[in-house]
Amino acid sequence: MAGRRRVAFLLLLVLACGDRPGTTIRLWVHSGPGPEREAYAASVAAFNATRSDVRVELTVLPEGTYGDQVHAAAIAGQLPEVLELDGPTVAEYAWARRLRPLDGLPALEAARADLLPSLAAQGTYRGRLYALGQYDAGLALWGDRRLLAKARVRAPRTVDEAWSRRDFERVLWRLKRVGVARPLDLKLNYGAGEWFTFAFAPLVWSLGGDLVDPATGRARGHLDGPAAREAMGLLQAWARAGYIDPAARNDADFVLGRSALSYVGHWAWPTYHKALGRNLVLMPLPRFGERAVTGSGSWCFALSAGGRHPQAAADLLAWLMSPREIRRVTTLNGAIPGTRTALRASPLYRPGGPLALFAEQLDRGLARTRPRTPAYPAISAAFAEAVNNVLAGADPARELGRAAAAVDEEMEDNPGFAGN
Amino acid sequence: MTVPLSPTRWRKLAGRCAPWLFAAPALLLFGLFLAGPFLMALSYSFTNKRLLAPPDLGAAWVGLRNYERLFRDPEAWAAARNNLLFAGVVVPVQSALALGLALLVNRHLPGSRFFRTVYFAPVATTLAVVAVVWSLLYLPEGGAANALVDLATLGRVGPRDWLRDPGLVLPAIMVLSIWQGAGFQMLVFLGGLQAVPRDLLEAAELDGAGPLRRFLHITLPLLRPTTVFVLVTTTIQSFQLFTQVQVIASGGASAPLDSFRTTVMLLVHEGFRRGRVGYASALSVLFFLLVLAISLLQRRLLKGSR
Amino acid sequence: MKRRRARAALALLVPLQVLLAAFFLLPLLVMVVSAFKPDELQLLSDLAGPRAFLPTGHLSLHNFDRVLRASWFLRALANSLLVAGSTVALGILVNSMLGYALARFRFRGRDLLLGGVVALVIIPFEAVAVPLLLLVNALPWFGGATGWLDTYRAQVLPFAANAFSVYLFHQAFAALPRDLEEAAALDGAGRWRTFWSISLPLARPTTATVAILQFLARWGDLLWPVMAVRSEARATLPLALQTFFGQYPRHWGEVMAFATLATLPTLALFLAFQRWFVRSAVSSGIKG
Repeated sequence: MAGRRRVAFLLLLVLACGDRPGTTIRLWVHSGPGPEREAYAASVAAFNATRSDVRVELTVLPEGTYGDQVHAAAIAGQLPEVLELDGPTVAEYAWARRLRPLDGLPALEAARADLLPSLAAQGTYRGRLYALGQYDAGLALWGDRRLLAKARVRAPRTVDEAWSRRDFERVLWRLKRVGVARPLDLKLNYGAGEWFTFAFAPLVWSLGGDLVDPATGRARGHLDGPAAREAMGLLQAWARAGYIDPAARNDADFVLGRSALSYVGHWAWPTYHKALGRNLVLMPLPRFGERAVTGSGSWCFALSAGGRHPQAAADLLAWLMSPREIRRVTTLNGAIPGTRTALRASPLYRPGGPLALFAEQLDRGLARTRPRTPAYPAISAAFAEAVNNVLAGADPARELGRAAAAVDEEMEDNPGFAGN
Repeated sequence: MTVPLSPTRWRKLAGRCAPWLFAAPALLLFGLFLAGPFLMALSYSFTNKRLLAPPDLGAAWVGLRNYERLFRDPEAWAAARNNLLFAGVVVPVQSALALGLALLVNRHLPGSRFFRTVYFAPVATTLAVVAVVWSLLYLPEGGAANALVDLATLGRVGPRDWLRDPGLVLPAIMVLSIWQGAGFQMLVFLGGLQAVPRDLLEAAELDGAGPLRRFLHITLPLLRPTTVFVLVTTTIQSFQLFTQVQVIASGGASAPLDSFRTTVMLLVHEGFRRGRVGYASALSVLFFLLVLAISLLQRRLLKGSR
Repeated sequence: MKRRRARAALALLVPLQVLLAAFFLLPLLVMVVSAFKPDELQLLSDLAGPRAFLPTGHLSLHNFDRVLRASWFLRALANSLLVAGSTVALGILVNSMLGYALARFRFRGRDLLLGGVVALVIIPFEAVAVPLLLLVNALPWFGGATGWLDTYRAQVLPFAANAFSVYLFHQAFAALPRDLEEAAALDGAGRWRTFWSISLPLARPTTATVAILQFLARWGDLLWPVMAVRSEARATLPLALQTFFGQYPRHWGEVMAFATLATLPTLALFLAFQRWFVRSAVSSGIKG
């Protein structure tokens, strides 16, 4: 009896919702292996509960094909009102005028003023802001305390104590000597894709180089320059010495103790923490060249230019950027909260928190944004393919030369790409 | 003032229109979806047309630049090499296997129908399924392919990472393609074999010709049109190779792309993923010319046999 | 003497056939058997030995259950049936009409048209795929909407007209005796009636061939769906399988269950219509 009454109540509720006057806006998000999916479902439900005039329709698409889906929808002119984008792809959609600039939208002023500088940079193209990120990402080195102790290696704790390249290679050598099968886990099992650029562009930057010329966007002399070649040489030397497994397939190498060091982003924290507990150490990235450089940038939200309800879309974006929603998602996925307020309040990242090092790396200006140009997809694809080939044993100079040529063809084809 | 058409004139007019009415639907579709895009490919190949661009940005004429780049592009050369290697192995092996199967089945041994069904069964599985199933067989640790190699070489050849090893990924794809494709051509050959007159073979046998001689001097020459057809279609299919390769590439960490990417896959990467429509169009035009050349060759070979 | 040789040949050929049958059958067997193994670790450790082909250890329908519930399999199956089915139906109609016009009408430009059709056979779809994508993206539809990406019509209409099918229909109609049609015409049947109720039924073998060839081509195609289909709601089986296969973490048991389920319809179709398949293979051999 009670059950039937509940059904009737639900039915009424559904009818009431369906009847609700006002607008429907669509929101697209990606779902990876992480738990963001639940966070967004909860965020949207909460938003819908507070607003009687706007209804948000959430679509969750798998991460593997998310980029292609957004690309296809942009071509077809069918982008949803609000969508998630991977940070470095913002420029291409902004250039193609598929995104609505966020400057001067009163609903977003608060979030904008509070945004981390790295995220402000990521969302900006030619002086206008197009995207806001709830969280940022960072790279670091995770270590297994037991294996490090076995090799008598002392782990650095702060950015100032970071290993130099020689320290780092000596550590790898000692770990290998005490029987660690593949001392360094580079997450090569992620496959040739955005991870390769996110992970190894910092290597090039640290060695004093860059992927493209910041002014002209041309790659010749940069993507195939001395720093990039040196970085590729490093990877190859590590593979040859048996420090890394260039054909790694298993995501669990570090957790299973086959590797003692894991070079990966903050997102490994939940898994690693659960598996290793107190034996997990977080270390700053080594100084491969003059100084240490880490990557930054992550998924962020943008409004599509063709959207019919800009006000409602801006409201949703403001809602997503509120401290409470940022806390909701970053508690689940362990990412670096994207506003100063949220960062200070985060138990993981506030000074003294277990992941404070990421905040310190960001704060000390170690983090760099990937090139903000519409040519970025071409740059990243070319670089990632070069890395993949180099790992398989190809000649770095040749592979990087090809990558640079591919990027420069893209620049030649699209005179509008040049300049910031 | 209009003169009403007389019934006879009306019928005449209708008679003249009728064939075109029958032809119209297909012609319309051909024009819109085949001839039109083909002309578009031709014209885009001389421009820098992009898939995703600002709404008001047109394409600019770039002359022969796309073609010049194609001839310098190591990716295009690698793709062409992969297609040629694939065709070089798969065309003879698969055709010979198909002919062998057809001869076997045609002997009407016990269970012939059953074996014919078995050989054809892979054809009924779609290529995407085939690629997925063989990916499992090719697993580097404990996969069936490695177990088989281990057994055949008595453990002398260690386990291989078939789909990650740049030297092995293409041969691995060849094997699964032959596995899937041989059955269909077996049927084609079977059709050809059934057209070989039985009395001719029996007469030769009475003359004392052994099975090999009968095959070489009677069956094979009579099969020539079928053989040419099989060789040519397999060659064209080798150049259209896409599905298997695409599924394997999308299955996560894979070998360096240049070790197995085919022309059509490059076409999709350039034209769709990277949005370089102009460049991909140039590639399309060259691809068409290649298929045209093979077809013309077939026509010439067939003419020779008639 | 002759009989002994025949027996020797038999002793050699039967094992050969069994070996070949194993080569063609065992991968399929691995697929089906693995689909019933819910324990991923067992599935993988079975692979290296004969147990890969044997239903051993813990077996259940768990993988199938997961595929049917947690993946887009059923939707993709329906999409595949819809797309391939309507392409075939529409294709038979328009291609036979054009074939009939070329075979049975005399009109100016007929030879040119026939030559054109033969020439169209040569244009591979791959060569027009990229511009077709742009074209389809800009095409209008009823109700003022533009852009056919991610629709059924974009997966059906470009493939309905098929030059090779037209050619086969042309051959079939040209080979039909004329007297039946003439008798119908004397009875007062118009050209359409004659075509629809006399000629097309007589060309049934060709219709079956054309249907099977076109069906298989659409059913297995991945190239066009990769480009023109965005959402899982419109994806056909190959695309859905590719997506499912690329998902992380991969569960081989479920992938094999998906593959098995995707194979069943065509395999059943093949077993039921084996005779027609043979005929279509043979008649595809007379091309050229």
